[in-house]
Amino acid sequence: MLEDISLTIHSGEMVGILGPNGAGKSTLFNIVSGILSPTTGIVKLFDTDLRRMPPRERARAIAVVPQELDIPVPYTVEEIVMMGRTASIGRFSSPTSQDRHAVERAMVYTDVADIRHRPLNELSGGERQRAIVAMVLAQEPRIILMDEATSHLDINHRLEIMQLVERLNYEEGVTVMIISHDLQMAAEFSHRLIVLHHGQIVADGVPHAVLTEETLRRVYNCDVRVCQDPQSGGLSILAAPRLPTAATGKGIHIHVVAGGGCGEATLRRLALCGYTLSCGVINRSDIDAEVGAVLGVRLALEQPFSPITREVLQTAQEMASNADALILTPVPFGTGNLVNLELLDRALTVGKPVFIAAGIGKRDYTLTRQAEQWIQTLLVRGAKPYRDVAELLTLLPAKSGQGTEMIKHKM
Amino acid sequence: MVLGLTPVILALCIMMGPSGIGLPDLNAEREILMLRLTRVLCGLIIGAALSCAGVVFQAILRNPLAEPYILGVSSGAGLGAAIAIVTGISAVCTYLLPLCAFIMALITLAIVYALSRNGDAPSIYGLILSGVIVSAVCSSLLMFMVSVSSIEGMHSILWWMLGNLEVSSNNILLIIGLVVVMGCLGLWSLSRELNALTLGHHMAHHLGIRVRTTIIIALLLATLVASAAVGVAGLIGFVGLIVPHIMRNLVGPDHRRLIPAAAIGGGAFLAACDALARTALAVEIPVGVITALLGGPFFLFLLKRRRPQSWLE
Repeated sequence: MLEDISLTIHSGEMVGILGPNGAGKSTLFNIVSGILSPTTGIVKLFDTDLRRMPPRERARAIAVVPQELDIPVPYTVEEIVMMGRTASIGRFSSPTSQDRHAVERAMVYTDVADIRHRPLNELSGGERQRAIVAMVLAQEPRIILMDEATSHLDINHRLEIMQLVERLNYEEGVTVMIISHDLQMAAEFSHRLIVLHHGQIVADGVPHAVLTEETLRRVYNCDVRVCQDPQSGGLSILAAPRLPTAATGKGIHIHVVAGGGCGEATLRRLALCGYTLSCGVINRSDIDAEVGAVLGVRLALEQPFSPITREVLQTAQEMASNADALILTPVPFGTGNLVNLELLDRALTVGKPVFIAAGIGKRDYTLTRQAEQWIQTLLVRGAKPYRDVAELLTLLPAKSGQGTEMIKHKM
Repeated sequence: MVLGLTPVILALCIMMGPSGIGLPDLNAEREILMLRLTRVLCGLIIGAALSCAGVVFQAILRNPLAEPYILGVSSGAGLGAAIAIVTGISAVCTYLLPLCAFIMALITLAIVYALSRNGDAPSIYGLILSGVIVSAVCSSLLMFMVSVSSIEGMHSILWWMLGNLEVSSNNILLIIGLVVVMGCLGLWSLSRELNALTLGHHMAHHLGIRVRTTIIIALLLATLVASAAVGVAGLIGFVGLIVPHIMRNLVGPDHRRLIPAAAIGGGAFLAACDALARTALAVEIPVGVITALLGGPFFLFLLKRRRPQSWLE
């Protein structure tokens, strides 16, 4: 999951870990908290190898607030919070006044003191999560890992918990690492942001430097706007204007040139917007063809592992001539599928809009870079380049929900 | 409440028996009194063992349906006992039948654990699944042994499987009693770890528990007491499933209170069931029948009445 990660978190830092689903954020936490051992390399906690650290000592150093905790038996809130002291109380001794004090303080700070005798599974999700946070606070760790810990909380308690953590960080120097999908909150509370993508660190630095539109687009594959609040200086992250729900692609036919799995996302998003789709020429066993078949896309199919023949290209040509626009997804080109560019060429000739994914240079596997040259010609003749599906959707023609009037046609 | 009720139940148990209801005359019926005392003591020990093991299995497997027999301990012990009966070594010496049952139970646990191991700590579903599989294999071997054994052998295996609290010698009772007391005390000392383990392996790890070591020790101790009980008294069902739930409703899920409560409650419950088994009809009914007949409805009654917030909603 994680590869070549070298990361130093200094004592007293408050670090936000960002990244899309599956980027390796939770794996990172599992390694830092000692649940997983790295296959190669070492984790050091205050200059001690984490694997050599006795569990009780480790628990006094590092604590984890999970996203949610499934507790099958009806412990009361107070019992749960007292479990935070597990590492501090000896096997045959009962809690000392110090333990009780830590528990009381944790319960007051998290606003669960008045529900201390209620069983946990009678409480709402937010109350339960606050009890879990109280347990971790009672543990009095030097490092707190929060794994999307506030995503189930209402806005008021989310803010309270974050302020509480911030105060612990500021006044007592507790190191905090936060995994969050709430970019804005992460930017607001963290001094440092680390962005993970495909198991690697792609950005690391102060929020202003990390949360750029470009990084977010690359990592989350989605268009966002990052604005700075003129008064507070805080960052706000907004989803870029998407195709309004009222607008639809219904009745608009688009022909997609795909292959090698690169058209999957495009086909899915376009189908969601209601466009009528056709796709080809594409090999029968291609993942894009399978996805297309499920989505009800009309396909011009060629036999697997064979170059495109004239007959099938003719079928695709008929589809393309009925289409309102053509899209070239980031397909890798070889001599076998090069003829697909003829479809785009002809469409431009008859004045149809053509959209081409940027970055052909890296995907051209023809010997004399014919594909790249051809696409350059197409771009000169008026084809529009696009960076990702989000941008593509803003460029494509669409209709308003009710009528047949074209509301957007940025050619 | 549990503590208060137990002596009353025990006194009642001593007063009940096939020879009549009432305290036996100390001079004339000294033998009967001694016999009843042994039976009650045996009930206490076996009941405590089964329900303590039940509590621990439920905590480790985080599963409300877990009981001492879920990991195949019972089938393994049953197979051991059947081997002892069929081969005739149980007739040689009275210690050998419980010993055989006990050894087979431990072997079964070892196989189950080895099958479920997947890297570090065994997964809960791995344990349950391999327990069910090993249990099924042992059961069919047991059935095979029953089918090829003589009529007498078949009868004694069947009686043993139904479960009863008649011990062949006081020495065995003493040994088993020691094993069970030590095992239950050991499990009690793991209370804090068991509490943490009910929050899941990861959370227990974060709280500073050695998850794998704790699971191994707790499973070993629970199997030890459960198979000691099975070796002596045969397969007495329901005690290890129901008493833990009842006690959890009464004293809460904290194992520091739950384990002693389950030990006392389970002992009293089994002793009472045994007294009923001896007295209710002219012939003695196997106590396993009573525990199921009595425990099931009582359990349902508690569920309906208290509407517990536990996992048995």
